[in-house]
Amino acid sequence: MQKTLEVMGQVCPFPLVEAKSAIESIQSGDELIIQFDCTQATESLPRWAAEAGHQVTNYEQLGDAAWTITIQKK
Amino acid sequence: MIQMLITGLICGALLGFVMQRGRFCLTGGFRDMFIAKDNRMFYALLIAICVQSIGVFTLIQLGIIDFTAGNFAWLGVIFGSFVFGIGIVLAGGCATGTWYRAGEGLLGSWIALFAYMVMAAVMKTGVLAPLNTEISSITLPENSIAATFGISNWIFIIALLLITGGLVYRELRKPKIAIPSLKPKRTGLSHLLFEKRWHPFVTAILVGLIALLAWPLSAATGRMFGLGITTPSANILQYLVIGDAAFINWGVFLVLGIFIGSFIAAKGSKEFRFRMPDKKTGINSFIGGLLMGFGASLAGGCSIGNGLVMTSMMTWQGWIGLLFIILGTWTAAYFVYVRPQKRRASQSTTSQQAV
Repeated sequence: MQKTLEVMGQVCPFPLVEAKSAIESIQSGDELIIQFDCTQATESLPRWAAEAGHQVTNYEQLGDAAWTITIQKK
Repeated sequence: MIQMLITGLICGALLGFVMQRGRFCLTGGFRDMFIAKDNRMFYALLIAICVQSIGVFTLIQLGIIDFTAGNFAWLGVIFGSFVFGIGIVLAGGCATGTWYRAGEGLLGSWIALFAYMVMAAVMKTGVLAPLNTEISSITLPENSIAATFGISNWIFIIALLLITGGLVYRELRKPKIAIPSLKPKRTGLSHLLFEKRWHPFVTAILVGLIALLAWPLSAATGRMFGLGITTPSANILQYLVIGDAAFINWGVFLVLGIFIGSFIAAKGSKEFRFRMPDKKTGINSFIGGLLMGFGASLAGGCSIGNGLVMTSMMTWQGWIGLLFIILGTWTAAYFVYVRPQKRRASQSTTSQQAV
């Protein structure tokens, strides 16, 4: 199962705040796809995922100041 | 004039570049101390203060630059810094942060920046100038911490070095976890400058060195101070509407340089795009900008002027200002992030109970 979180246009730290609450709503093993354009989140999202023990299964830049990251819940 | 233009722009561009690539965000750093119990950015700030402090006091010792701490306008510093701290959370970045985010193309930061410039000018030469003067005239005679205790500045610098060293050592000894990063698409210098994630402590050393470099460069044009953001930001607007060239100084080119440097960094790393904020973010940015301009003018400095420069000059204004900026960000962070989440959490538990 995958869930997509669209946080384009939101500034730091809201992408992270939203991601933390969205991951609560999915089951262990499911994936959360986050689309974001906040530069600071390129650091804070993977860092949070790693520290919380989730798995990052995809992480790439889509274009100018636009990224996607997929986090699999532990 | 030409010298001012060139050295100011270069120093600013270096700072803007380093802050953009290093993600050097003090607002985020102060906020995360509270909401994520993460002190890394605060330690990074301490590193930058140490680097600048050693350098500047050495330059003073050598007679190259000259600094008098003056008196301590305690009421303005405490109240102004607290208001500034609230403002930077709403605006999504401190004064410097707002300048460099504006260079990344965030239009919300353009709004915040404009409100900040207007309010700073209103406080310095506008209708609120008498209020500003009134509050700033409530002072204590001694601003230098060392002079208060009647001992050398170097004792405080050594103490700060030891404390910072201890905190950094403890932080670096923590077990490392691998943080996933984007696949590198570049190599060599281009990778290092435009792609690689910079360690905040490395960024901090660079910021400290740039802050140090600012002193002799600025002094050479007759402006005896280091990095400063608020007064120069107001000066731009004052110059534009009044047309008096006396408002132009090294600091004006410094802040314009931050914008340019950050734009180069963002463009080079494909992180520049004009981004329009939603309605709520736009309004918050505007209000935040006003509070920043009001607070920083009253306190005689922002998170750079007081938090980075006056702290390394070992003044009460710097350290007490920094403390109250942090308290302001925590207060705002509680209302903006912590309380809404608690409410959401308690609402979901009540709805579950109802089922």
